[in-house]
Amino acid sequence: MARRLTRLLSKYALLATLAVSYLFLYLPIVHIGLGAFARNHAFPYPPRWTLDTFGRLFANSLYQSAFANSLILGIGAGALSTALAAAATLGLMRHAGRRTGFYLVLFVAPLFVAEVLLGIASLIFNGLFLELQGNLVSAILANAVHCFSYALLIMATQLYRYDWRLDDAAMVFGASPLRTFFEVTLPLIWPGLLGAFVVTFIMAFNNLEISFYLLGATPTLPSVAWGALRYGVKPELYALATAVNLVVVVGLAVMFVLMLTGKVAFGHRPERERAV
Amino acid sequence: MKRRFAGPLLLGIPTAFLLALFVLPLVSMVVLSFWRTENYHIVQDWNLGNYITLATGGAYVTFLIRSLVMASIVSMVSVVIAWPVSYAIILYGGRYRLLFTLAFAVPFLTGEVLRVIALQGLLGPLGLINGVLMSLGAAPLRFIMYTNVASAIGLVYLYLPIVVTVIYLSLLNFDARLIDAAKIFGASPARAFFEVTWPLNLFGTLIGFALCFIPCLSATLAPRFLGGPNGTLYGMAMAQQFGESGTWALGAAMGVVLFLTSILAVLAVCLKVDLRRTGFTGLGRG
Repeated sequence: MARRLTRLLSKYALLATLAVSYLFLYLPIVHIGLGAFARNHAFPYPPRWTLDTFGRLFANSLYQSAFANSLILGIGAGALSTALAAAATLGLMRHAGRRTGFYLVLFVAPLFVAEVLLGIASLIFNGLFLELQGNLVSAILANAVHCFSYALLIMATQLYRYDWRLDDAAMVFGASPLRTFFEVTLPLIWPGLLGAFVVTFIMAFNNLEISFYLLGATPTLPSVAWGALRYGVKPELYALATAVNLVVVVGLAVMFVLMLTGKVAFGHRPERERAV
Repeated sequence: MKRRFAGPLLLGIPTAFLLALFVLPLVSMVVLSFWRTENYHIVQDWNLGNYITLATGGAYVTFLIRSLVMASIVSMVSVVIAWPVSYAIILYGGRYRLLFTLAFAVPFLTGEVLRVIALQGLLGPLGLINGVLMSLGAAPLRFIMYTNVASAIGLVYLYLPIVVTVIYLSLLNFDARLIDAAKIFGASPARAFFEVTWPLNLFGTLIGFALCFIPCLSATLAPRFLGGPNGTLYGMAMAQQFGESGTWALGAAMGVVLFLTSILAVLAVCLKVDLRRTGFTGLGRG
């Protein structure tokens, strides 16, 4: 009896913590979301609806060019770090041999160096020692360093259970390594690649601290938002944050519908249902 | 024949990339920290002046200690919150576990600046909490706006999703049959947790701790926009050397100190842990 009571209590305590944490995470987002759509944006309760702020946001040419730059930065750094991390993961799992430890430490080291340090160090290296002006290319390269480790980890968790005997089988039947890669390995590991690209794209797209030091005067979405924040929050920033949040939430909603209809399982395996 | 080139190529290109764009910049930061800046120009004479300034200028030591305290508190609070959260998701998430975890990552995916803006909407003088309090006729809470408490709340908000994700992954890869075994042999749920679940997930917990600690230690945004006049943290002071004051050499020395501090903190945490006992089984190559 007492045991059942403690069990029930611990269940509700856990669920309550979960609920409070979600509330803590989403309350500010919902608050500024209301602010973006409301005429009384500072304290939008009850909101008087308007779409003016979005109109001003999308008409603003500074935000437009910043968005384009962020997009280039995100795609460039995402693609580069995903490709490099794919090579590194395959090499680490198949070819590293006794030096695995060394490579692993080198490859995950960027995780343990703060973004702002990476930005400053790259600024010193580029600006002082190579005497290069900041530009999009150097920003893409510096972001790719940071994204590389995340991409590596995402792919490593996906490839952890990959059956390398499939590759060996293809080779035994006479396929060249390249052909094996494109006809056997790639079709099986692409979800990992895609996941790594999406996450690294988002990270580079949103990055302020690395990009800021390497871009000079080129605006990106985070740096424009940062500049506007310094001079007091404007309703346009609420609208910008809300627009970005909406894109992410819609993505998750699509995933939810796909899971609900059973089209995609996203790694959910019934045989691993019971954990802990 | 081709197979012999595959390994060096696959490992060599990322290694070269990291050496050129990760290690070399860090080395050049160390080199610069031994030079000095005069009127916005770098003077190449080797000296320890920057480090002497950092050690004797009281403000920098204060900033560093304040940052260390702040990062430790924030990381511990995040771990304490993240454990029940990930545990609840694992236990009751069912087939939508991944979605619950991703829902935690949504704020993380929207960028630090936009989240600081959202936080100002929550904690600021005109924000949600104080707005509600004032419209109810109560006095606004002073300690949650432009104070160290506000910075700490902001940092927990910023980095909690990372910790939750890491601990969730650790729990997901943990073999639940071990708990069943412990219970069959008569352990109470609490004892099974503290003698099986906790030590076997300690490695994941520590990684989560470190991944929260490091960005907190060098935080620049949250203290600037949420912290008050007494809220300057080390990372923010360092960033200012490259912006407003233009003293790059001193900033580089601060960077070196910050880098060494975070490495030392991570090593101190890792050395306390017996990897075998945390269920670390090598590098996952089967």
